Amino acid sequence: MPGFDFSNYNRNAALHARGVPLPKATSTGTTIVGCIYEGGVVIAADTRATSGPIVADKNCEKLHFISPNIWCAGAGTAADTEFTTALISSQLELHSLSTGRKPRVVTVMTMLKQHLFRYQGHIGAYLVVAGVDPTGTHLFTVHAHGSTDKLPYVTMGSGSLAAMSVFETQWKSKLTQDEAVKLCADAIEAGIWNDLGSGSNVDVAIITPEKTILKRNYIKPNERTQKLKSYVFPKGTTAVLNEKITIRKQDIGNFVSISDLTEAETGDKMEVDT
Amino acid sequence: MSLRIVPESNPSSSFTHQPSRAHVAPSAPGLHDTLRAGLGANPLTTPATQAISAHPLEARLKQWEATREQLKMETLRRTYGIAEPVRRGMELKITREGTWKPLALGGSTPSIHEEILTGRDGIIEWEDVFTGEENGAHISVHEEIERKVKM
Repeated sequence: MPGFDFSNYNRNAALHARGVPLPKATSTGTTIVGCIYEGGVVIAADTRATSGPIVADKNCEKLHFISPNIWCAGAGTAADTEFTTALISSQLELHSLSTGRKPRVVTVMTMLKQHLFRYQGHIGAYLVVAGVDPTGTHLFTVHAHGSTDKLPYVTMGSGSLAAMSVFETQWKSKLTQDEAVKLCADAIEAGIWNDLGSGSNVDVAIITPEKTILKRNYIKPNERTQKLKSYVFPKGTTAVLNEKITIRKQDIGNFVSISDLTEAETGDKMEVDT
Repeated sequence: MSLRIVPESNPSSSFTHQPSRAHVAPSAPGLHDTLRAGLGANPLTTPATQAISAHPLEARLKQWEATREQLKMETLRRTYGIAEPVRRGMELKITREGTWKPLALGGSTPSIHEEILTGRDGIIEWEDVFTGEENGAHISVHEEIERKVKM
Protein backbone atom coordinates (compact mmCIF):
# COMPACT_ATOMS: atom_id res chain seq x y z
CA MET A 1 0.00 0.00 0.00
CA PRO A 2 1.71 3.21 -1.08
CA GLY A 3 1.54 6.37 1.01
CA PHE A 4 -0.03 6.51 4.45
CA ASP A 5 -0.99 3.21 6.04
CA PHE A 6 -4.31 3.12 7.88
CA SER A 7 -4.45 -0.63 8.49
CA ASN A 8 -3.87 -0.32 12.26
CA TYR A 9 -6.31 2.56 12.80
CA ASN A 10 -9.39 0.51 13.73
CA ARG A 11 -7.36 -1.66 16.11
CA ASN A 12 -5.74 1.38 17.77
CA ALA A 13 -9.09 3.14 18.14
CA ALA A 14 -10.59 0.02 19.78
CA LEU A 15 -7.59 -0.27 22.13
CA HIS A 16 -7.84 3.43 22.98
CA ALA A 17 -11.51 3.01 23.85
CA ARG A 18 -10.43 0.34 26.36
CA GLY A 19 -7.94 2.69 28.01
CA VAL A 20 -4.63 2.05 26.23
CA PRO A 21 -2.92 5.41 25.66
CA LEU A 22 -2.23 6.38 22.05
CA PRO A 23 1.41 6.89 21.01
CA LYS A 24 2.55 10.52 21.21
CA ALA A 25 4.22 12.46 18.40
CA THR A 26 7.16 14.71 19.19
CA SER A 27 5.89 18.23 18.74
CA THR A 28 8.06 21.28 18.55
CA GLY A 29 6.07 23.50 20.93
CA THR A 30 7.78 26.38 19.38
CA THR A 31 8.35 30.05 18.79
CA ILE A 32 9.06 30.90 15.16
CA VAL A 33 9.02 34.41 13.72
CA GLY A 34 9.70 36.22 10.44
CA CYS A 35 10.16 39.88 9.58
CA ILE A 36 10.63 41.78 6.31
CA TYR A 37 13.19 44.59 6.22
CA GLU A 38 14.52 46.92 3.53
CA GLY A 39 16.20 44.56 1.06
CA GLY A 40 15.45 41.13 2.49
CA VAL A 41 13.72 39.01 5.08
CA VAL A 42 14.77 37.47 8.40
CA ILE A 43 13.32 34.33 9.98
CA ALA A 44 14.22 32.99 13.41
CA ALA A 45 13.34 30.03 15.63
CA ASP A 46 14.07 28.61 19.06
CA THR A 47 15.66 25.13 19.34
CA ARG A 48 13.61 23.15 21.85
CA ALA A 49 11.66 20.03 20.82
CA THR A 50 9.14 18.73 23.35
CA SER A 51 7.27 15.46 23.75
CA GLY A 52 4.52 16.18 26.24
CA PRO A 53 6.22 17.49 29.41
CA ILE A 54 9.64 16.16 28.34
CA VAL A 55 12.24 18.15 26.41
CA ALA A 56 13.10 15.71 23.61
CA ASP A 57 15.89 17.76 22.02
CA LYS A 58 17.59 20.85 23.45
CA ASN A 59 19.18 22.00 20.22
CA CYS A 60 17.06 20.90 17.27
CA GLU A 61 16.93 22.76 13.96
CA LYS A 62 13.64 24.33 12.97
CA LEU A 63 14.83 26.37 9.99
CA HIS A 64 14.41 24.20 6.89
CA PHE A 65 15.95 24.59 3.46
CA ILE A 66 13.52 24.86 0.54
CA SER A 67 15.76 26.41 -2.12
CA PRO A 68 18.88 28.61 -1.79
CA ASN A 69 16.74 31.77 -1.55
CA ILE A 70 13.66 30.33 0.15
CA TRP A 71 13.69 29.02 3.71
CA CYS A 72 11.00 27.73 6.01
CA ALA A 73 10.56 27.75 9.79
CA GLY A 74 8.41 24.94 11.15
CA ALA A 75 6.22 24.45 14.24
CA GLY A 76 3.89 21.58 15.06
CA THR A 77 4.73 17.88 14.72
CA ALA A 78 8.50 17.71 14.24
CA ALA A 79 8.52 14.82 11.75
CA ASP A 80 5.74 16.38 9.67
CA THR A 81 7.46 19.77 9.31
CA GLU A 82 10.74 18.05 8.47
CA PHE A 83 9.30 15.71 5.84
CA THR A 84 6.81 18.14 4.31
CA THR A 85 9.49 20.77 3.73
CA ALA A 86 11.84 18.14 2.26
CA LEU A 87 9.08 16.93 -0.07
CA ILE A 88 8.15 20.45 -1.19
CA SER A 89 11.84 21.27 -1.65
CA SER A 90 12.18 18.31 -4.05
CA GLN A 91 8.99 19.20 -5.86
CA LEU A 92 10.09 22.81 -6.22
CA GLU A 93 13.40 21.72 -7.74
CA LEU A 94 11.51 19.55 -10.28
CA HIS A 95 9.20 22.49 -10.98
CA SER A 96 12.02 24.98 -11.52
CA LEU A 97 13.83 22.50 -13.81
CA SER A 98 10.61 22.09 -15.80
CA THR A 99 9.91 25.82 -16.10
CA GLY A 100 13.57 26.87 -16.36
CA ARG A 101 13.08 29.75 -13.93
CA LYS A 102 14.14 30.53 -10.39
CA PRO A 103 11.51 29.26 -7.93
CA ARG A 104 8.98 31.78 -6.60
CA VAL A 105 7.95 32.03 -2.95
CA VAL A 106 4.25 32.07 -3.90
CA THR A 107 4.81 28.74 -5.68
CA VAL A 108 6.12 27.22 -2.46
CA MET A 109 3.25 28.70 -0.49
CA THR A 110 0.66 27.36 -2.97
CA MET A 111 2.27 23.90 -3.07
CA LEU A 112 2.31 23.77 0.73
CA LYS A 113 -1.28 24.90 1.20
CA GLN A 114 -2.61 22.53 -1.47
CA HIS A 115 -0.65 19.65 0.03
CA LEU A 116 -1.74 20.40 3.61
CA PHE A 117 -5.38 21.05 2.66
CA ARG A 118 -5.54 17.61 1.08
CA TYR A 119 -4.56 16.02 4.41
CA GLN A 120 -7.11 18.09 6.39
CA GLY A 121 -4.75 19.08 9.20
CA HIS A 122 -3.67 15.51 9.97
CA ILE A 123 -0.20 16.55 8.85
CA GLY A 124 0.58 18.93 11.71
CA ALA A 125 2.91 21.35 9.95
CA TYR A 126 2.62 25.05 10.85
CA LEU A 127 5.13 26.92 8.73
CA VAL A 128 6.61 30.36 8.14
CA VAL A 129 7.75 30.61 4.51
CA ALA A 130 10.21 33.40 3.69
CA GLY A 131 12.24 34.12 0.60
CA VAL A 132 13.52 36.51 -2.01
CA ASP A 133 12.77 35.83 -5.68
CA PRO A 134 12.84 37.96 -8.87
CA THR A 135 9.42 39.41 -7.95
CA GLY A 136 10.58 40.69 -4.55
CA THR A 137 10.69 39.80 -0.88
CA HIS A 138 7.91 37.62 0.51
CA LEU A 139 6.83 36.34 3.90
CA PHE A 140 3.93 33.92 4.44
CA THR A 141 2.54 31.69 7.16
CA VAL A 142 0.88 28.36 6.32
CA HIS A 143 -1.36 26.61 8.86
CA ALA A 144 -1.80 22.85 9.02
CA HIS A 145 -5.31 23.03 7.55
CA GLY A 146 -4.08 24.95 4.52
CA SER A 147 -4.91 28.57 5.31
CA THR A 148 -2.25 31.19 4.61
CA ASP A 149 -1.40 34.75 5.65
CA LYS A 150 0.80 37.40 4.08
CA LEU A 151 2.12 39.97 6.55
CA PRO A 152 5.24 42.13 7.08
CA TYR A 153 5.97 40.38 10.39
CA VAL A 154 4.62 37.01 11.52
CA THR A 155 4.90 34.67 14.51
CA MET A 156 3.76 31.06 14.94
CA GLY A 157 3.84 28.23 17.44
CA SER A 158 3.01 28.10 21.14
CA GLY A 159 5.23 31.14 21.87
CA SER A 160 3.67 33.21 19.10
CA LEU A 161 1.79 35.46 21.54
CA ALA A 162 4.93 36.38 23.46
CA ALA A 163 6.84 36.96 20.22
CA MET A 164 4.02 39.00 18.68
CA SER A 165 3.97 41.33 21.70
CA VAL A 166 7.60 42.24 20.94
CA PHE A 167 6.79 42.89 17.26
CA GLU A 168 3.69 44.92 18.09
CA THR A 169 5.64 47.25 20.39
CA GLN A 170 8.97 47.55 18.53
CA TRP A 171 8.32 46.97 14.83
CA LYS A 172 8.56 49.92 12.43
CA SER A 173 8.06 50.03 8.69
CA LYS A 174 11.65 50.81 7.60
CA LEU A 175 14.06 48.46 9.33
CA THR A 176 17.72 47.88 8.54
CA GLN A 177 19.10 44.34 8.44
CA ASP A 178 20.73 44.58 11.88
CA GLU A 179 17.55 46.02 13.42
CA ALA A 180 15.45 43.24 11.88
CA VAL A 181 17.81 40.52 13.18
CA LYS A 182 17.79 42.14 16.63
CA LEU A 183 13.98 42.40 16.59
CA CYS A 184 13.53 38.75 15.53
CA ALA A 185 16.04 37.51 18.12
CA ASP A 186 14.29 39.56 20.84
CA ALA A 187 10.93 38.12 19.81
CA ILE A 188 12.32 34.55 20.00
CA GLU A 189 13.88 35.32 23.38
CA ALA A 190 10.47 36.51 24.62
CA GLY A 191 9.16 33.07 23.56
CA ILE A 192 12.10 31.26 25.17
CA TRP A 193 11.55 32.92 28.56
CA ASN A 194 7.74 33.15 28.64
CA ASP A 195 6.62 29.98 26.86
CA LEU A 196 7.31 26.57 28.38
CA GLY A 197 7.22 24.88 24.98
CA SER A 198 10.09 27.02 23.69
CA GLY A 199 13.62 27.25 24.99
CA SER A 200 17.36 26.86 24.49
CA ASN A 201 18.97 28.88 21.70
CA VAL A 202 18.03 31.29 18.91
CA ASP A 203 18.56 30.33 15.24
CA VAL A 204 18.43 33.11 12.64
CA ALA A 205 18.38 33.04 8.83
CA ILE A 206 18.91 36.26 6.86
CA ILE A 207 17.70 35.98 3.26
CA THR A 208 18.88 38.63 0.79
CA PRO A 209 18.66 38.64 -3.03
CA GLU A 210 22.34 37.60 -3.21
CA LYS A 211 22.58 34.92 -0.56
CA THR A 212 21.19 33.38 2.60
CA ILE A 213 23.11 33.56 5.87
CA LEU A 214 22.08 30.90 8.37
CA LYS A 215 23.20 31.81 11.88
CA ARG A 216 22.80 28.60 13.86
CA ASN A 217 22.74 29.28 17.63
CA TYR A 218 22.92 33.05 17.07
CA ILE A 219 22.21 33.66 20.78
CA LYS A 220 22.80 31.03 23.47
CA PRO A 221 21.06 32.38 26.58
CA ASN A 222 20.86 28.96 28.25
CA GLU A 223 24.52 27.92 28.28
CA ARG A 224 25.09 25.10 30.77
CA THR A 225 27.34 26.40 33.55
CA GLN A 226 29.96 24.57 35.60
CA LYS A 227 28.41 22.80 38.62
CA LEU A 228 29.28 24.36 42.00
CA LYS A 229 30.51 21.07 43.41
CA SER A 230 32.33 18.27 41.67
CA TYR A 231 30.91 14.82 42.24
CA VAL A 232 33.97 12.96 40.94
CA PHE A 233 35.33 10.78 43.77
CA PRO A 234 39.14 10.54 44.25
CA LYS A 235 40.77 7.17 43.53
CA GLY A 236 40.79 4.86 46.53
CA THR A 237 37.50 6.10 47.98
CA THR A 238 36.06 2.60 47.88
CA ALA A 239 37.93 0.02 50.00
CA VAL A 240 39.40 -3.01 48.18
CA LEU A 241 37.98 -6.19 49.73
CA ASN A 242 39.55 -8.80 47.53
CA GLU A 243 42.27 -8.71 44.90
CA LYS A 244 43.17 -11.35 42.37
CA ILE A 245 45.73 -10.98 39.64
CA THR A 246 45.14 -13.00 36.50
CA ILE A 247 48.01 -13.30 34.04
CA ARG A 248 47.03 -14.10 30.50
CA LYS A 249 49.06 -16.70 28.65
CA GLN A 250 50.50 -14.26 26.11
CA ASP A 251 51.62 -11.88 28.90
CA ILE A 252 53.49 -14.54 30.90
CA GLY A 253 56.77 -13.56 29.21
CA ASN A 254 56.68 -10.29 31.17
CA PHE A 255 57.04 -12.13 34.47
CA VAL A 256 59.16 -15.26 33.75
CA SER A 257 61.81 -15.90 31.13
CA ILE A 258 60.99 -18.82 28.87
CA SER A 259 63.43 -20.59 26.60
CA ASP A 260 62.50 -23.55 24.40
CA LEU A 261 64.77 -26.59 24.85
CA THR A 262 66.29 -28.36 21.87
CA GLU A 263 65.71 -32.07 21.32
CA ALA A 264 69.22 -33.03 22.53
CA GLU A 265 68.78 -31.16 25.82
CA THR A 266 65.49 -32.77 26.73
CA GLY A 267 66.81 -36.33 26.30
CA ASP A 268 63.38 -37.38 25.11
CA LYS A 269 64.54 -38.44 21.68
CA MET A 270 63.23 -41.81 20.62
CA GLU A 271 65.92 -44.41 20.29
CA VAL A 272 65.79 -45.96 16.90
CA ASP A 273 67.79 -49.00 15.73
CA THR A 274 70.05 -48.12 12.86
CA MET B 1 -21.64 14.57 -14.11
CA SER B 2 -20.63 16.83 -11.25
CA LEU B 3 -17.80 19.31 -11.02
CA ARG B 4 -16.74 18.19 -7.55
CA ILE B 5 -13.29 19.56 -6.56
CA VAL B 6 -12.57 17.40 -3.49
CA PRO B 7 -14.08 14.05 -2.47
CA GLU B 8 -17.22 13.94 -0.37
CA SER B 9 -16.48 14.06 3.35
CA ASN B 10 -18.65 11.10 4.35
CA PRO B 11 -19.71 8.93 1.45
CA SER B 12 -21.25 6.05 3.43
CA SER B 13 -24.57 7.01 4.98
CA SER B 14 -25.80 3.57 6.01
CA PHE B 15 -24.50 0.96 8.39
CA THR B 16 -25.63 -2.60 8.91
CA HIS B 17 -24.79 -4.97 11.73
CA GLN B 18 -26.01 -7.92 9.68
CA PRO B 19 -23.21 -10.22 8.53
CA SER B 20 -22.45 -9.82 4.86
CA ARG B 21 -23.77 -12.57 2.57
CA ALA B 22 -20.29 -13.35 1.27
CA HIS B 23 -18.83 -14.50 4.57
CA VAL B 24 -21.38 -16.89 6.05
CA ALA B 25 -21.04 -20.61 6.49
CA PRO B 26 -23.21 -22.48 3.96
CA SER B 27 -24.49 -24.76 6.70
CA ALA B 28 -25.66 -21.84 8.90
CA PRO B 29 -26.43 -18.88 6.60
CA GLY B 30 -27.44 -16.48 9.39
CA LEU B 31 -24.16 -16.70 11.32
CA HIS B 32 -20.99 -14.75 10.83
CA ASP B 33 -18.01 -16.96 9.99
CA THR B 34 -14.70 -15.45 11.11
CA LEU B 35 -12.72 -18.17 9.34
CA ARG B 36 -14.19 -17.00 6.05
CA ALA B 37 -14.42 -13.27 6.77
CA GLY B 38 -11.02 -12.84 8.40
CA LEU B 39 -10.20 -10.51 11.28
CA GLY B 40 -10.88 -7.28 9.40
CA ALA B 41 -10.27 -5.56 6.14
CA ASN B 42 -7.07 -6.85 4.54
CA PRO B 43 -5.09 -4.14 2.73
CA LEU B 44 -3.84 -6.72 0.22
CA THR B 45 -7.28 -7.92 -0.89
CA THR B 46 -9.29 -4.70 -0.53
CA PRO B 47 -9.63 -2.72 -3.78
CA ALA B 48 -7.38 0.35 -3.92
CA THR B 49 -10.32 2.77 -3.93
CA GLN B 50 -12.04 1.27 -0.87
CA ALA B 51 -11.16 2.37 2.66
CA ILE B 52 -10.03 -0.26 5.15
CA SER B 53 -10.42 1.86 8.29
CA ALA B 54 -12.89 4.31 9.77
CA HIS B 55 -10.34 7.11 9.61
CA PRO B 56 -11.92 10.13 7.88
CA LEU B 57 -8.73 10.93 5.99
CA GLU B 58 -8.36 7.53 4.35
CA ALA B 59 -11.54 7.65 2.27
CA ARG B 60 -10.62 11.18 1.18
CA LEU B 61 -7.11 10.22 0.07
CA LYS B 62 -8.27 7.10 -1.74
CA GLN B 63 -10.85 9.04 -3.75
CA TRP B 64 -8.68 12.11 -4.25
CA GLU B 65 -7.04 11.21 -7.56
CA ALA B 66 -10.25 9.85 -9.05
CA THR B 67 -12.20 12.99 -8.10
CA ARG B 68 -9.54 15.29 -9.57
CA GLU B 69 -9.36 13.19 -12.71
CA GLN B 70 -13.14 13.26 -13.08
CA LEU B 71 -13.21 17.04 -12.68
CA LYS B 72 -10.51 17.44 -15.32
CA MET B 73 -12.23 15.15 -17.79
CA GLU B 74 -15.62 16.77 -17.23
CA THR B 75 -14.12 20.24 -17.83
CA LEU B 76 -12.45 18.97 -21.02
CA ARG B 77 -15.71 17.41 -22.17
CA ARG B 78 -17.59 20.66 -21.69
CA THR B 79 -14.89 22.66 -23.48
CA TYR B 80 -13.94 20.39 -26.41
CA GLY B 81 -16.64 17.74 -26.52
CA ILE B 82 -16.58 14.07 -25.65
CA ALA B 83 -13.75 13.31 -28.11
CA GLU B 84 -11.10 14.89 -25.89
CA PRO B 85 -11.63 12.81 -22.70
CA VAL B 86 -12.11 9.69 -24.84
CA ARG B 87 -8.81 10.30 -26.64
CA ARG B 88 -7.00 10.86 -23.36
CA GLY B 89 -8.50 7.78 -21.79
CA MET B 90 -7.51 5.76 -24.85
CA GLU B 91 -3.92 7.02 -24.77
CA LEU B 92 -3.69 6.19 -21.08
CA LYS B 93 -5.07 2.69 -21.66
CA ILE B 94 -2.63 2.02 -24.51
CA THR B 95 0.26 3.23 -22.36
CA ARG B 96 -0.77 1.15 -19.36
CA GLU B 97 -1.17 -2.02 -21.38
CA GLY B 98 1.79 -1.50 -23.69
CA THR B 99 4.54 -0.92 -21.13
CA TRP B 100 6.16 -3.46 -18.92
CA LYS B 101 8.35 -2.42 -16.04
CA PRO B 102 10.53 -4.92 -14.17
CA LEU B 103 9.71 -5.44 -10.49
CA ALA B 104 13.26 -4.39 -9.63
CA LEU B 105 12.37 -0.88 -10.87
CA GLY B 106 9.06 -0.80 -8.99
CA GLY B 107 6.75 -2.90 -11.19
CA SER B 108 3.32 -1.67 -10.13
CA THR B 109 4.18 2.04 -9.87
CA PRO B 110 3.10 4.14 -12.88
CA SER B 111 5.59 4.24 -15.74
CA ILE B 112 7.16 7.52 -16.85
CA HIS B 113 4.93 7.59 -19.98
CA GLU B 114 1.81 7.25 -17.87
CA GLU B 115 3.03 9.95 -15.49
CA ILE B 116 3.57 12.34 -18.41
CA LEU B 117 0.03 11.70 -19.70
CA THR B 118 -1.52 12.25 -16.27
CA GLY B 119 0.66 15.31 -15.64
CA ARG B 120 2.37 13.80 -12.59
CA ASP B 121 5.92 13.63 -13.94
CA GLY B 122 6.87 16.86 -12.15
CA ILE B 123 5.23 15.94 -8.85
CA ILE B 124 6.69 14.06 -5.91
CA GLU B 125 4.30 12.94 -3.18
CA TRP B 126 4.31 10.68 -0.12
CA GLU B 127 3.21 7.82 -2.38
CA ASP B 128 6.36 8.24 -4.49
CA VAL B 129 8.59 8.03 -1.41
CA PHE B 130 6.75 5.32 0.54
CA THR B 131 5.78 2.99 -2.29
CA GLY B 132 4.63 0.19 0.00
CA GLU B 133 7.08 -2.25 -1.61
CA GLU B 134 9.86 -1.72 0.93
CA ASN B 135 9.54 -5.20 2.41
CA GLY B 136 8.41 -7.10 -0.66
CA ALA B 137 10.35 -10.07 -1.99
CA HIS B 138 13.25 -9.02 -4.19
CA ILE B 139 13.03 -10.67 -7.61
CA SER B 140 15.88 -10.03 -10.02
CA VAL B 141 15.21 -8.94 -13.61
CA HIS B 142 16.61 -12.23 -15.03
CA GLU B 143 14.41 -14.31 -12.74
CA GLU B 144 11.34 -12.30 -13.72
CA ILE B 145 11.94 -12.58 -17.47
CA GLU B 146 12.68 -16.29 -17.18
CA ARG B 147 9.34 -16.70 -15.45
CA LYS B 148 7.63 -14.48 -18.02
CA VAL B 149 8.84 -16.45 -21.05
CA LYS B 150 8.53 -19.79 -19.18
CA MET B 151 12.17 -20.85 -19.42
